[in-house]
Amino acid sequence: MKHFSKQARFAISGLICLHVAVLSAGFLAPYDPTEQNRSSVLRPPSTLHFVHLRPFVAGADGHDYPLRFFITGSKYRWFFGSSSVTHLFGVDQPGRVFLAGTDEFGRDQLSRILWGGQISLATGWLAALLALTLGLGWGLIAGFFGGWRDTVLMRGAELFLALPWLYLLLTVRAFLPLSLSPWITALVMALVIGIIGWPRPARLVRGVVLSAKERDYVYAARGFGASSWHLILKHCLPQTYRLMATQAALLLPQFILAEVTLSFVGLGVGDPAVSWGSLLAPLRQIAVIGSAWWMALPVLAVIWTTWCCSLLEDNWKYTGEAG
Amino acid sequence: MFRRYLLRRLLHALFLLAGISVLSFVLLELAPGDFLGEAKLNPQLGPATVAALRQQYGLNQSLPQRYARWLGSLADGSMGVSFAYNLPVSTLLWPRARKTLQLTVTALLLSWMIALPLGVWSAAVRRGWLDRFAGLATSLLLALPDLVLACLALFVAVRAGWFRSNSAVLPVTVLVLATLPTLLRHVRSAIFDVAGQAHVRAARSQGIAGAQLWFRWLLPAAANPLASLFGLSIAGLVSSSLLVETILGWPGLGPLFLEAIAARDFYLVIGPVMLSAAFLIGGLLLGDLLLYLIDPRIRIQT
Amino acid sequence: MKRDSGIYIRVTCAVLLALGVFARTPACAESTADDLLITHGESGRYGGSLVVLERAEPKTLNPVTALDAPSRDVIRRMMADLISINRRTLETEPSVAKSWVVSRDGRQYVLELRRGLRFSDGHPVDAEDILFTFRAYLDEAVHSPQRDLLVIGGQPIGVEKVDATHVRFRLSQPYAAAERIFDSVAILPRHLLEKAWREGKLGDAWSLNTPPAEMAGLGPFQLKEYVPGDKIVLSKNKYYWKVDQKGNRLPYLDQIEFHFVPAEDTQVAQFIAGEADILNRVGARNFDLLSGEARTKDGHLEDAGPGLEYNFLFFNLGQVDAQRFPEIVARQAWFRDVRFRQAISAAVDRDAIVRLVYGGRASALWGHVTPANRVWLNAALPKPAQSIERARRLLQDAGFRWNEDGGLMDASGKPVQFSILVSSSSLERGQMATVIQEDLKKLGIQTQVVSLEFRALLDRVLNSRQYEASILGLVSGDADPNPEMNVWLSSGGSHLWNPSQNQPMTAWEAEIDRLMRQQMTTLDHAHRKQLYDRVQQIAAENLPLICLASPNILVAARKNLGNFQPAVVDHYTLWNAEQLYWRQPAGARAQGAR
Repeated sequence: MKHFSKQARFAISGLICLHVAVLSAGFLAPYDPTEQNRSSVLRPPSTLHFVHLRPFVAGADGHDYPLRFFITGSKYRWFFGSSSVTHLFGVDQPGRVFLAGTDEFGRDQLSRILWGGQISLATGWLAALLALTLGLGWGLIAGFFGGWRDTVLMRGAELFLALPWLYLLLTVRAFLPLSLSPWITALVMALVIGIIGWPRPARLVRGVVLSAKERDYVYAARGFGASSWHLILKHCLPQTYRLMATQAALLLPQFILAEVTLSFVGLGVGDPAVSWGSLLAPLRQIAVIGSAWWMALPVLAVIWTTWCCSLLEDNWKYTGEAG
Repeated sequence: MFRRYLLRRLLHALFLLAGISVLSFVLLELAPGDFLGEAKLNPQLGPATVAALRQQYGLNQSLPQRYARWLGSLADGSMGVSFAYNLPVSTLLWPRARKTLQLTVTALLLSWMIALPLGVWSAAVRRGWLDRFAGLATSLLLALPDLVLACLALFVAVRAGWFRSNSAVLPVTVLVLATLPTLLRHVRSAIFDVAGQAHVRAARSQGIAGAQLWFRWLLPAAANPLASLFGLSIAGLVSSSLLVETILGWPGLGPLFLEAIAARDFYLVIGPVMLSAAFLIGGLLLGDLLLYLIDPRIRIQT
Repeated sequence: MKRDSGIYIRVTCAVLLALGVFARTPACAESTADDLLITHGESGRYGGSLVVLERAEPKTLNPVTALDAPSRDVIRRMMADLISINRRTLETEPSVAKSWVVSRDGRQYVLELRRGLRFSDGHPVDAEDILFTFRAYLDEAVHSPQRDLLVIGGQPIGVEKVDATHVRFRLSQPYAAAERIFDSVAILPRHLLEKAWREGKLGDAWSLNTPPAEMAGLGPFQLKEYVPGDKIVLSKNKYYWKVDQKGNRLPYLDQIEFHFVPAEDTQVAQFIAGEADILNRVGARNFDLLSGEARTKDGHLEDAGPGLEYNFLFFNLGQVDAQRFPEIVARQAWFRDVRFRQAISAAVDRDAIVRLVYGGRASALWGHVTPANRVWLNAALPKPAQSIERARRLLQDAGFRWNEDGGLMDASGKPVQFSILVSSSSLERGQMATVIQEDLKKLGIQTQVVSLEFRALLDRVLNSRQYEASILGLVSGDADPNPEMNVWLSSGGSHLWNPSQNQPMTAWEAEIDRLMRQQMTTLDHAHRKQLYDRVQQIAAENLPLICLASPNILVAARKNLGNFQPAVVDHYTLWNAEQLYWRQPAGARAQGAR
């Protein structure tokens, strides 16, 4: 981290915090994300009032419930398998603390934002990884060998860009077997988004390789009888690392947004799974935006991710080595 | 040389379009359900009528047969017949495509007119609180997909009383806001890239600065990435506004296309897909041609 | 000879009347000497234009081939039928037909047309137009979606001309709701369409690009202008044959404009901005938003109560290919046990659905006949509240048991879980699925909501049968049970849980088949009601459809609009378009400007 600028360090820390929070969603979230409180629908965020520096939440029955820490609550599983019932904070029954309000079924929004990050970030990372891998492979080959491979790449990329992606997703979605868990469905959607997204990194990698292969040391290596693959892997590939990093920073938020857009048109993950996209989907209705502003809070999570990624991308582009 | 390059690219474009048409046909066919699915659900329609309608629409024909029919319809300009409207697809497309282009061309011009000076300025003034603020603002806009932007814009317009149903102001604003951040970042990075290049640094070291630096050294060198970017903008002229049009009620291709997809109105789906593919390929081709004309290095390479 | 036969008919009718044959001329509207129909309702002022919003644009203006709702909405303002169903009372009333006589066996109807009627282009109407109309609708080469409504007992309805103003219809068997089939069979102008029909091109006629001069109808409005993707404008038909109490010829409005706005939120925005005058149906949340909006102080919002739409959860009970979908077949063993379905129904919290999904603006349903249908609703059916205990008892009786985590298992130890398909385009049904999912969790059943695009969903339910459970909704076009035949007959295509069977798979489906066929030909209303009550009872006992809720019809219009009487059947706001008028001049918005 030493050679990263202050800005980059801030951005990386921000992203790490986000990922840690999302991975420990079970612990940090006071409630199960699917638990409905049907008598507390569309409640604004609970106000905490402090008595002698201790936070209290006013309950529906008039009593005050103190905010407790490391409280026993609903059961959840960590991503590495073991389950637990301890939550970071909460209030005793029958009180409820909704720090981010509730949705139209009375589900705690804070818990849903935390848990939802798991599918959203996983989708984003997976899609970005796939797009980058495909783009890298294709761009290396096309850029280095040129000729017909290059033409196939460029035209193939255009073909992908021109396909009606909405249609492709509808079709894929309609074909998935019903018994798939929501996680696997999200995975498949991520794969499709990633596959759709490979043209851009491919073109950029190609550009980098085109200029890399003209370097003197490449000619020299070739003169020494190095094979094409050796040249690609040892000389061209390292030139693409910075590009790959910036692309990763660019693609992650883009693919998270793709998932949000899909949820907006109804193709997102279904209940009981939750993602940032499915949390933002109610914002389609102006009636919701007007009467329940807290339903827009998940946007903050997306903005945070986008901002950190943009800072990183900026940084790697402008303060790395020149050229 | 240029003519050969152009001819070669045009040939590629034709092949690409043909490939896209075949792929689209296959994809559409794969998607479950067909135009008469909802008719089957209608309690008032008997199975015999539905079967007769299937025959009438040619839904019983095999895919190659339907593709051949569609190719034939290209020759007489009708691009197939819509099942729902019982009208040639081209008659349905052109008036709406015009309306869509009204929106997107305006948005294109506006966003380029804003992004170029803003990008150049922000590349010049790289640090400082204004730059940081602009970065945050662009991230904010980037974080919102255009659908969310459209809904928020609708809400704001209604609340503030600005909403007018047939005006292009709201859709154009949404489109500009949606495309401006990415465009801005690309312009900025393009300018910054060329600013670091050898010949520009040489010019600066010789004392050339200000407007002369910009117009004789920087912008021409930056024309390379900017030209491809422009090509990409053209490429999205038909497809970028579909969802926004549907939400904001603009009578363009968007509502027609999305409804046709939902109804599985076969030829009416293929039509807009091919139109937007044509724009996409044309736009990318334009970008590449501009590159060819502007940048001598490309000419040598290709 | 013609005049002689006319007198002969009248004498015969009088004699038949005297003999006590059932002849009806409903009293809710009378005819003048000019044979114009006098409507009841306030008398209004002339002038002004009305802007109505539609979710999609019409696909055609051809009444014979129109399939989709927006097309029908526009066409119905331009066309008229012989006998109409009044959307408020749900009773039939005379329309182009002034009166009619039914034979004792219910197989023959002789309708008398109004004299002196003209189409909107001035051409006179006579019985030949009626004959042509029915010939066109019944022509198999035309494939009209309405043809099946006119086929009774396997035979198309027979039409013959008696004289210039009388037409006889023959049915092959007595049909209980025979009068109602005339509703929405639009009378076609022979002078404009016969040539196309003879050439076999009737389906191509009257598409959206048709110039207004080539169209004519008997409805209150006629086509003026169509702007693709944007709007369709209808202007007043000056030959319209209805007058108000004071003898003013209807319609009052100079024109109606249909604007196409796909998103409901944008429709609400346009209404608030004053750009639209009528919102045909809004969702509960938008209704509340409109009630709160200060600018809609000149808006009149009305909750017309439950309509005829019923939403339901149903399971896949039909034959599924065991090779390809073994898991679905295994789960069908649970679905086919009626106690399982009864347990599910007992566990669903319908109150929560009404409250959370529809904001209280809906009615809970235990059967497919909604409270709006007072004539046919079986009021004796029980309406049990949610009871998890009763559900658990039913499941125990059926051999299910619970493991230590509380999860439900069947007798062989398999955990009970299934997927519920919903359409991605219906927000409400998705929300209903969420509510049900949580309710079923209390029984230890894990469910998964899968949101599919509507066509893909229909394909799975009707064709490939690759689904386990689904939530759908149907809307009856009419209160009468007959249009619903295809849902309840086991051979019907809309018999969703097991469509298009050759033989009914269960005894209770066979019983419903028998009852439905019988009520179709029973003329006595009390007997029909008894039969249909029994159908509802069997459905409630066997629960092929677990009915959930029926949303209320929520509409909005300007306060300034007179004679606005929303109905609970389609078309909710424009069914009496000819009677709508502006109490005061429409204000700043100029006619025709947008």
